[in-house]
Amino acid sequence: MPKFPDKVDLYDDRGALIDTKVPIEALSPLYNSAIKRIVSIVKRAVAVDLKGVERALATGAVGGRGCIIKGRELKLNVVANAAAIADKIEKLIRVKPGDDTQVKILRNGENLLVMAPSARLEAGVEYTTALTAVASALCCALIETFNISMWDYDMVHAAVWGRYPQSVDTMGANVSMLLAVPQQNEGMGYALRNIPAAHIATITRKNAMNAAALSAILEQTAMYEMGDAIGPFERYQLLGLAYQGLNANNLVYDLVRENGKSGTLGDVVASTVKRAASDGVIKPLKKLPSGYVLYASDDIPLWNAYAAAGLLAGTMVTCGAARAMQHITSVLVYYNDLIERETGLPGVDFGRAEGTGIEMSFFSHSIYGGGNPCVFHGNHIVTRHSKGFVIPCVSAAVALDAGTVYYAPERISGVVGEVLGEIPELRQPLRYVNEAASKIKGEV
Amino acid sequence: MSELTYKPQYYPGSSIVAKNRRKYLDPNYQLRKLRSISDEDIVRLLGHRAPGEAYKTVHPPLEEMGEPDCPIRKLVEPTPGAKAGDRIRYIQFTDSVYFAPLAPIIRCWVYHTRWRGVDPGSLSGRCPLEARERDVELISRELLETELFDPARVGVRGATVHGHSLRLDENGLMFDMQRRYKYDPSKGEVVYVKDQSGKPLDKPVYVGKPLPEEELKKMTTQFRVDYISLRDDAEVMEFVQRLHWLRTLAGADPNLAKNV
Repeated sequence: MPKFPDKVDLYDDRGALIDTKVPIEALSPLYNSAIKRIVSIVKRAVAVDLKGVERALATGAVGGRGCIIKGRELKLNVVANAAAIADKIEKLIRVKPGDDTQVKILRNGENLLVMAPSARLEAGVEYTTALTAVASALCCALIETFNISMWDYDMVHAAVWGRYPQSVDTMGANVSMLLAVPQQNEGMGYALRNIPAAHIATITRKNAMNAAALSAILEQTAMYEMGDAIGPFERYQLLGLAYQGLNANNLVYDLVRENGKSGTLGDVVASTVKRAASDGVIKPLKKLPSGYVLYASDDIPLWNAYAAAGLLAGTMVTCGAARAMQHITSVLVYYNDLIERETGLPGVDFGRAEGTGIEMSFFSHSIYGGGNPCVFHGNHIVTRHSKGFVIPCVSAAVALDAGTVYYAPERISGVVGEVLGEIPELRQPLRYVNEAASKIKGEV
Repeated sequence: MSELTYKPQYYPGSSIVAKNRRKYLDPNYQLRKLRSISDEDIVRLLGHRAPGEAYKTVHPPLEEMGEPDCPIRKLVEPTPGAKAGDRIRYIQFTDSVYFAPLAPIIRCWVYHTRWRGVDPGSLSGRCPLEARERDVELISRELLETELFDPARVGVRGATVHGHSLRLDENGLMFDMQRRYKYDPSKGEVVYVKDQSGKPLDKPVYVGKPLPEEELKKMTTQFRVDYISLRDDAEVMEFVQRLHWLRTLAGADPNLAKNV
């Protein structure tokens, strides 16, 4: 028996119906097998840059920018021996035959995608297990494959691990995972939020709906870890995930379709309010002397979900029209201003989405420095405030950019985005999560 | 409420200031054209390219470069500037607190209800609008030729924007440290002798006659304690206080804001 009364129709990124009347619990990270698998992949997947290792060893440039150790160069054919190295890594990290260890060779040996076995993560408490296991296994594999002298082990370590442990993170490393090291999380439960929008856009191959979906899944799953999806807020967050992130009732797609050809952000606001009114989510409360009608809602979490879906649609219409990511902050601020002035109801996340937009605008446009939207994430000091409703829009905006920024997503994301985009559940999360929800709709 | 009866309402309030806000926000309201400025003069005032010069690009035209397989790109029509791969460029305004038609935040609302693909931001004394270059030029025309602009109380300023809260000069012009514009008594018009970023123009750009203050008072979207205060408009006050209260209530527990 579902805890909440809400049922939604599920659609894919192209507005095609997947299933009807699915309880929102089926989209919960506590139940949905695809979300669980995405979280598992995020913890277990490690991208290995063999070409980077070869270059680092050949030049002595290890441990990040500015560090070159002349006289310690090692000329090794790492890429050419990718198959042997992959084989050795697999043997080293596999716990038992037939477990879920996987090593995939990509781009003719330039990269490896390594999935560490779940058994290793289950035996520990920290999500860095996959990274540490793969990094060490790679060091061992290199030493064995090329019969490296003990006196050069330090160079191998530096070429693989980067400057760690002198640095907090693996600075300049050639192994990487989506998650940052725990020391870089802003607080408890922030791990899944510490993934820059550049990675998300690159992984989803710049499909804006999937970029938003993957961000929403990671952000809203993090809400469960942060203690923000408990009590009255559980349904609130779940509705947000369903309507904004997973295109429930085709709301986001419909709003974009309605305004895509000639609509402005203001038109998206009007369409969102119109839809909320016609679906009975909001209703007139009273008419003021000027004729202005204040609206009220008997279901504020659902109103927020509608508003959040409109915010994403507004992002897609505005950043999509300009094919530029930088507009996202303006959308975050003024969409909320406009929808509040249109209804007399609080905007997305009750002001937190707008506040986040104001701060982000300073750090993405202004004399205060910062960076383009690619570098922002839900753990970033200026974009952490909204409870999962902003970063999906940032990722969609980054995905829609046609090339207006100097530091493009591919450049920031590098190998990790390219490699992890090979995993179907990460590349097309909307389809996988909605299909998984459809399968369990009678069981929750 | 049925779908058919819903009409966008934009802004509450019964004061003239609130009505003006509502009017400018409504894209169906045709802005009054008060002056004409040539294409060439607008380009020169912006200072991003020479008149007649080709647009510089930041990426190839969309048709040539191809786009990723994304259904949203198929639904959302790019602006002319985005299609061509134009650079992102800007126009920035300073609005005097002395009854300029707009104020930075109202500008942003107006921009977002009237034009596509815009990236405005509001600061205390300035309001930049960023967009693709040819889109900026098209929008600038409307911003400069209509009632949204007053030559004396609104300044086109790419940099050194200071002046929005300073006293007006003897001709009623807003202070500009870069002296980009001056009053031409022979024509009774304001004339720009420098572009928006302060680079001298080879030929001056006339932007029309300043409006009388009484006229500006009828057009402004600014509440002022010495004119119409925010507190004079009970409806706007009710609205602002309601929003503040609802944000607080819902943040504590969304159910507390139910039917409020």
